[in-house]
Amino acid sequence: MGYRAEHLLSLLKTVAPLLLGLLGVIILALPIRLFEGVAPTPIIPLVVVFFWSIYAPAYMPSVSVFLIGILQDLLTGGPLGLWAAVYLVTQFVVMSQRSYFLGREQKVVWLGFALAAASASLMLWLVMSLMSGALLPVGGLLAQMATTVLIYPLFGIAFGEFHRRILVEA
Amino acid sequence: MEFLGQDGREGFGRRANSRFVLILLILVSILLLLSSLYSAQASVFKKAREGVLDATAPVLEVFSGPVAYFNGIAGNISDYFNVLEQNKALREENAELRQWMNEALELRKVVGAYDALQTYRAPPAAQPIDAYVIGETNDAFARSMIVNAGRAQNIEAGYAVVDNRGLIGRIVDTGARASRVLLLTDVQSRIPVFVEGAAIEGLLVGNTRGKPAIAITEGVDEVAFAQGQRVLTSGAGGVMPRGLPVGVIDGEHGDDIVVDLYANYARTRLVRIINYEFPEVGDTLSPDEEDAGEEVAAVTEG
Repeated sequence: MGYRAEHLLSLLKTVAPLLLGLLGVIILALPIRLFEGVAPTPIIPLVVVFFWSIYAPAYMPSVSVFLIGILQDLLTGGPLGLWAAVYLVTQFVVMSQRSYFLGREQKVVWLGFALAAASASLMLWLVMSLMSGALLPVGGLLAQMATTVLIYPLFGIAFGEFHRRILVEA
Repeated sequence: MEFLGQDGREGFGRRANSRFVLILLILVSILLLLSSLYSAQASVFKKAREGVLDATAPVLEVFSGPVAYFNGIAGNISDYFNVLEQNKALREENAELRQWMNEALELRKVVGAYDALQTYRAPPAAQPIDAYVIGETNDAFARSMIVNAGRAQNIEAGYAVVDNRGLIGRIVDTGARASRVLLLTDVQSRIPVFVEGAAIEGLLVGNTRGKPAIAITEGVDEVAFAQGQRVLTSGAGGVMPRGLPVGVIDGEHGDDIVVDLYANYARTRLVRIINYEFPEVGDTLSPDEEDAGEEVAAVTEG
């Protein structure tokens, strides 16, 4: 393999989590309505940001997080910068607690993700309530965050395998 | 997952991901958020949203087919369990609709007779544009859908969007080949409506709940309404045609009149965008028609 190809490959590996995050945003924008829309779509970008911020922040630079958030804001048509701020603050909090999470059991990390999701929900709810001038109902948000937290272990394993087999070893 | 810790416990301060850049980007996001609060329709933001709409529309369009297929399978499974009840309900509804059909045929004759009168001028006909839903925001607070028709199909912001049940929302962003529909349940949605048979003119205000509420702008003295009365678009403001079915009154919830929408967003797939040219007020109207025009203007201002 030539130097150029190798360089390209390493670049591709660095942006792979970013691409996963962007894919998660696209999934969020698909008209998935399982069981008459009762089951909400999980917020996969939050999982992506959380996972790589803990285990390999070099693969999830803040610029990537920012891009994922901005794409989500533009695609959902909401206030620009909201999801970007939510994801970046999540990364900030997670990275400040990184030394605690590293090497812990998956259960502990899962709990950490639940806390991160809860704080993200709080932020979203506060900003949107301020914007609309009324306290908004939280039911839909809680259901969506709960779904995201429930599927976290599944994606945690998948992302772990992906990171180990493809990004680090291949 | 020891392998994951192998690129070190360096934490903050690495070149690739410094705390400085992170905090800077957080500040940038907050700044963007504040500026978009005050100028949500600023041309830069609007351009960016439309650009993203155009860029993602082909991807969404490719995926929306299979997604609809799997939604259908999941929907079918639940249908199998209540097929008998559904059959019974459909038979009853069919009998009722047959009566309505006969009544409509009679009325068509009557309307035809009126049409033949010289003094009658038909209101301008709407030109519907059909489109498929290719995307939707699965967000707790933002409620919108993306449809695969845009400026190339002469779609402009403000147009009403209906499906086979009733009004679902209005166009807010238009890309070249895709547009965003703001649903009636979004917090930003404000649709002028009136209640049939009651002197209530108002705005249907979305609040992320399934059933939005009416904020009254006219007929405030005594609000008399009954459950089940139809809610229709009033045409005030001059973008949407008057008389599009929105829903029925569900009851009173605190101070609000809550509306049960006809639209079922979980089933909306094919939509019709109504390109409506509002009649010009002024030049050829008779005096009483002019009064009606002023009323509409008053409602718009109020």
